[in-house]
Amino acid sequence: MKFPFLREWRRMLRQPIYAFGMVAAPLLCCLFFTSLMSEGLPEKLPLGLVDEDNSATSRNIARNLDAFQMVNVARVYANVGEARRAMQQGEVYGFYLIPHGTASEANRQRVPTVSFYTNHSYLVAGSLLYRDMRMMSELASGAASRSVLYAKGATERQAMAYLQPVVIDMHAVGNPWLNYSIYLSNLLIPGVLGLFIFMITVYSLGTELKFNTARALLRRSGGSTAAALTGKLLPQLLVFLLTGTVCVWWLYGHLHFPCHCGLPRMWLIMVLFVVGCQGLGVFMFTMLPTLRLGLSFASLWGVISFSICGMSFPCMAMHPILQGLAWLFPLRHYYLLYVNSALNGYALQNAWPYVLCLLAFALLPLLCLPRLGKVLREYAYLP
Amino acid sequence: MNYWKQALSDWNHLFREELLGVFKDQGVLIFCLLVPLGYPLLYAFIYTNEVLHELPVAVVDDCRSTQSREFLRHLDATSDVRITAYCADMAEAQELVKRREAYGAVCVPRDFSRRLARGEQVAVSAYSDLGGMLYYKAVLTAATNASLDLNAQIKVKRAGGTTAEQDQVAEHPITYQEVSVFNPQNGFATFLIPAVLVLIIQQTLLLGVGMAAGTAREQNRFRSLVPFGRQRRGMLRIVWAKSLAYLLVYIPISVYVLGVVPHLFQLSQLGRPADMALFMLPYVVACIFFAMTVSALVRNREMCILLIVFTSVPLLFISGLSWPSSAVSAVWKTIGYIFPSTFGIKGFVAINNMGAPLGDLRQEWTMLWLQAAVYCLTTCVVYRASILHSRQRLLQAWQAARLRRRQLRSHSTEHV
Repeated sequence: MKFPFLREWRRMLRQPIYAFGMVAAPLLCCLFFTSLMSEGLPEKLPLGLVDEDNSATSRNIARNLDAFQMVNVARVYANVGEARRAMQQGEVYGFYLIPHGTASEANRQRVPTVSFYTNHSYLVAGSLLYRDMRMMSELASGAASRSVLYAKGATERQAMAYLQPVVIDMHAVGNPWLNYSIYLSNLLIPGVLGLFIFMITVYSLGTELKFNTARALLRRSGGSTAAALTGKLLPQLLVFLLTGTVCVWWLYGHLHFPCHCGLPRMWLIMVLFVVGCQGLGVFMFTMLPTLRLGLSFASLWGVISFSICGMSFPCMAMHPILQGLAWLFPLRHYYLLYVNSALNGYALQNAWPYVLCLLAFALLPLLCLPRLGKVLREYAYLP
Repeated sequence: MNYWKQALSDWNHLFREELLGVFKDQGVLIFCLLVPLGYPLLYAFIYTNEVLHELPVAVVDDCRSTQSREFLRHLDATSDVRITAYCADMAEAQELVKRREAYGAVCVPRDFSRRLARGEQVAVSAYSDLGGMLYYKAVLTAATNASLDLNAQIKVKRAGGTTAEQDQVAEHPITYQEVSVFNPQNGFATFLIPAVLVLIIQQTLLLGVGMAAGTAREQNRFRSLVPFGRQRRGMLRIVWAKSLAYLLVYIPISVYVLGVVPHLFQLSQLGRPADMALFMLPYVVACIFFAMTVSALVRNREMCILLIVFTSVPLLFISGLSWPSSAVSAVWKTIGYIFPSTFGIKGFVAINNMGAPLGDLRQEWTMLWLQAAVYCLTTCVVYRASILHSRQRLLQAWQAARLRRRQLRSHSTEHV
């Protein structure tokens, strides 16, 4: 086992693609996602305003709208057509329309209608603006009622109780800032790491066939496939663990993302994820020993992970077939373990099935050792 | 005249060779045909349900009055959530959340109806699991809608003895209308799939061209990009023949990916086909030259997969679709200008989802042509360098051979 271990170190040091895929690219992505979303919640999203009324009321609405954290009333348009065009060009993510005569109709109790248009083609920006514009519309309506109530001699407390008898006190458990970086970076970064673990594992095994070194490797490992494989994958595991550790430190140690379970347990989950991905990588190569097919499959599995793990679009809303298939993706289990432990702070026992699944992935190579030995001995490289 | 004849015949030969290369090489075939054909279907299948409906939530009704039950009935009636459990206390609700049987909790306080009867304001607490932003959105939307419904009813009741007209004024002195444009159901597929489709074209081109280049290098005696024996045929001919061969392959693929797939999954298609074609042409051309330039970095056949695949996710974020471009820092925005997909995604989403005419996308269109021109130039430079390098190696090899032969000859004369 000593020989393949040292030999793999030499290979990894000599070929820059290993340093790129195992350390440089995952860490670069780590930096990319956390710096891109460093704001947490996007602020000052450009919003258009079509003010046909030009009254004190309409200007008050516009001012209040601009004062929202998420909203920046970027441009004022003369009519709806212009605003729609600006929306199509991507200048604004939505616009607020105050039609002619709003103020005077409200004063005469004629119930005018204001409207807001949100472009949900940009889902994140659209949803955030929608929330604020809806709130503003409720407030505008409330302000009109309130002035009537004040005129009738109501106190502020009485007025508010009349205007909004029931209010919702919303608690976002685990991520009270609704920080998008916490929501996404925590999974995109392990996702990229997992993708590289799949690809590098398949690539390093496949190149043994490609350059006709597999048989020599087996011979020098005393003919034992297990020894050859362990010796070969151990250096890679150590480097991937190093990268994973840096990612965990960056997210929870440096950026202080919520980690209720403490750094060591999150690190343990990362270790499970890394070995799980490596195990699955070995399995992929054994089943598809052609380098191009193996790598294509590894990249397919790695990229699909991002969608099927359910972090952005929940698994429960997917087709039942996909819900079952999601169990075959290590990132899905990592996601559930992360939510369970770091975000919500429950004990690891609470999510034991996912730990077991990751362990099962890690043990997959044991199952495919005989076939892998045959592959390494007999298969030839196909371009 | 003879020169042009030679040029055209060379071109013809190279074009056919490249085209055959795409279809003969199974690796390239996977990326240039199989992935663009199959991948969009898989993605559309994942997101085809568009929205999250009926999220299971647990409720704690401490009040147990007519009004609190009415509030909870309103909550249950929304499309966003479904009440799966009525718990005795918050601890029980939390236990359900812990077991992932509920993803949110709503708690109606003990003094709910008493405060309403007294004419005081009352707060209902809602909790949501933040494992997914959509959980939060569902719980918030449902609770807000239920509370607004109830508020309107209470206001009317309190006003007392009024006409229907007065009720309406009391409810909302200014009403509002919410219009969700270009994605009326706020769906995930309508939002994400168009960008993924555009990205697939660029990424598969990078992979396919990169793999072909890697193979060319492996089969080449001097590990150079341009095969031995082609050097005299001129750099321009090689570049043009190759790029046109890829263009020929990618025109039907683009039509399928950008036209047929959205149709199959009933995504919005508001764009005019002519605008779409005119916009996507510079995109595909820019992608081809970009891929040919990048392919110079690929040393062996399979390496390009390792270099290219992971970039898809960052590119999706940098394009301003997942993360609003107004919140992207200047550094990342500038880096985004390198990739055709940044402009391609923005333009395609505008034309396809929002029905924008081409004239409104002048900026993106010009940038794509500019990218096409710049990457065409860099491709020429890269191929020129490769040809020169290859020629030099050939010359060296020839000189070495000549030297060896001379030495051999001198040896043999000495022996004589």
